[in-house]
Amino acid sequence: MLEDKLLVVKCRRGNKEAMCRIYDKHKDYLLTLSKGLLGEQATAEDVVHDVFVSFARSAGQFQLKGSLRAYLATCVINLARDKIRARTRQAQVLDSMNPDTLRSDNPAQNLIESEEITQLRQALTKIPYEQREVVMLHLKAGMKFREIARLQGVSLSTTHGRYRYGLDKLRSLLNSEVKE
Amino acid sequence: MRPAENIEKLIKNLSDKTRAKMDERVRKNMLQALAESEKPSALTWPKIRKIIMKNPITKLAAAAVIIIGVTLSVTIWDKTTSKAYALEQTIQASHSVRYLHIKSFMKGMEEPKEFWIEFDKQGGIKNIRAHMPEWESPSDGAKVVIWQQGKAKIWFKKKNSLVTVKDKRFSEKLSASVQLFDPKLAVPRFIELEKHGLAKIEIEEPSNKAEPIITTATYSPESKQFGVPVDRTILFVDQTTKLITSMESYSLAEGSEYELIDWIEFYDYNQQIDPAMFVFDNLPSDIMQIDQTTQDIGLEQENLSEEEIALKVVREFYEAVIAKDYTKAGRIYGNIPASRIEEMFKELKIVRIISIDEPKPHPIPGVGGFMVPCKLEIEKDGIKSVFEPYGPAVRAVYGQPNRWNIHGGVK
Repeated sequence: MLEDKLLVVKCRRGNKEAMCRIYDKHKDYLLTLSKGLLGEQATAEDVVHDVFVSFARSAGQFQLKGSLRAYLATCVINLARDKIRARTRQAQVLDSMNPDTLRSDNPAQNLIESEEITQLRQALTKIPYEQREVVMLHLKAGMKFREIARLQGVSLSTTHGRYRYGLDKLRSLLNSEVKE
Repeated sequence: MRPAENIEKLIKNLSDKTRAKMDERVRKNMLQALAESEKPSALTWPKIRKIIMKNPITKLAAAAVIIIGVTLSVTIWDKTTSKAYALEQTIQASHSVRYLHIKSFMKGMEEPKEFWIEFDKQGGIKNIRAHMPEWESPSDGAKVVIWQQGKAKIWFKKKNSLVTVKDKRFSEKLSASVQLFDPKLAVPRFIELEKHGLAKIEIEEPSNKAEPIITTATYSPESKQFGVPVDRTILFVDQTTKLITSMESYSLAEGSEYELIDWIEFYDYNQQIDPAMFVFDNLPSDIMQIDQTTQDIGLEQENLSEEEIALKVVREFYEAVIAKDYTKAGRIYGNIPASRIEEMFKELKIVRIISIDEPKPHPIPGVGGFMVPCKLEIEKDGIKSVFEPYGPAVRAVYGQPNRWNIHGGVK
C-alpha cells in the first residue's frame, strides 16, 4: 500500500521505472479480471493496455485516494462495460461466441490450464453480464458487496441476488444441467 | 452436483499471465503517454503566445501578469522553503533504526541488490546479508555475502564455492557501500554539502499527509571534486515517521535533463531480522569451502616488489599446472582444491609458457592488484596453438597482506 503510494508520487514526477513497476505489479491480476469479465483474450488485453495508457496520461495530476489496485480494477470494470456495450451494439451476442476464442493464445498457459478452468471461462461468458461482474468483483477483485452495489448503482440486496443467481447459473452450466 | 464453494474457489484461483508481446506493447505506449503528460503544451504554446502578443493591450496585461506572477512565485517559494519539515528530523529518526532492509536498483537491470542490515546500539554495523545479482559481477555470477564482526562469508553460486575472508579492505569496501544508503550518514552529507555551497536543497511537503515529503538535493559541478558521484539526489520521506522510503540518484544528461540512474528502496524499518538470515544454512552439500582466515593462500611476497610478486604468482601457477602439481596450483589460485584445478585443465593442456608481460594495475577501480598478461602454448586434440588467458588477475590475499594469489579467471 505504502509502496504503491510512493510509486504513484514518482509517476507524477515522470519516473518511467516507477510506471513500469506499477504495471508489473498489477498486470496479471488486471488481465485475469478483464478476461473473466470479457471472455476474449485479445479484448481483455486491450482493456488492460488502455487502462495503463490512460493512467500514464493522467499520472501528472493523479491523486491516489485508497488502494491503487482497487482504482485500476475499477478502470478495468468501466472499460469492460464499454466493450460489452459496443459488442451489444454490433449485435455480437455473447452466447454465440466461438469457444475457441476463449482459450488463451498463450500456449504455455493453455498447457497448464485444466479443462475445468476452460469450462469455467466458457460458463462465465454465458451468465448475464451484471451477474458476472458481481461474481468476478467479489471473488477475484475481493470487493465487498456494498462497494459493488455502489459501483453498479443498485441496492445491496440486488447485488446479493445477482451474486447468488450468477453462482447458481454457473453451477448449472458446469454440471451441464442447463438445456441449451 | 458441483457445490457452489468449489466454483467460488475455482474463480478465486483463476490466474492469467500477460504475454511478452503484450508487455512490450503496453510498456511502449504507456511510457510514451507518460512522457507526453510531462510536456504540457510545448508545441502549441509558442504559437498561441505569438498570436496573443501581437495585440498591444494584451502586451500590457501580460506585463501585469508577469509582475503578479513573480510576486506570487516569490511568496510560494518562500512558503515551500519555510520548512516545517527539516532534514534533521530524518537524521534524528534514523538514529533509532536497528534493522533495515534495502533494495538497490540500477536502471536497466531487473534484479536489485538486496541488503539486510542490523545495527548495534551505537549505530555501527553489526550484521549484513547481501544478495548480489549476476550483473554486478558477471565473472563471479550471483553471490550471497554474510558479514559479521569483520569476517565475511561469500557464497559464489555459479562457482559452487564458499569463501571466508577476514580483511580490513573487504570490510571497508562493504561498509562504504552500506554507508551510501545508511540514512543517518547519507542525510548529514546533504546538509554538509549545502553548507559549503555545493548543493541546493529543496523540500516539497504535500498537505496530504499520506504522501511523502520530497527532498531534492541538486549538486554543483564543483561537488564532483569532493567525491559526489551524481548530479541530483531525491529523497522520499514518510511524513509520519520522517524516515526515508526511497532515494533516487540522477545524472545530468545532455540537454540539461536529469536522468534517473539508480534508486534505493527502504523496507521494514526496525522490524527485527531473523538471526537465521545471518547464517548460511541451505548450502549445497558438495560446495567447495575455502577459508582464507585459517589457511595460507598464494605465495609469500618476501622482499619482492608488488609487480615482481604478481609476475612470480602467474609464472609459478602455470608451471605448477604444466607439472600437474595441482595442489600448488590450487593454493596459488585462492586455495581451490587440487581436484578442481585438475578438472579445469582436463581439456586445456598447457604445454609451455611463451611469455609473461609486465603487470598492469587492475582496470576496475577498487579491485586492486594487477593484471598480468601472458601467452601460453596449448594443445587441444593434438593441435598446438597460442592461448592468451583473460587476466590473470593477481592481488594480495584478503586477510594475508604478505601473500599474493590469483583471483578471477585463469582460462
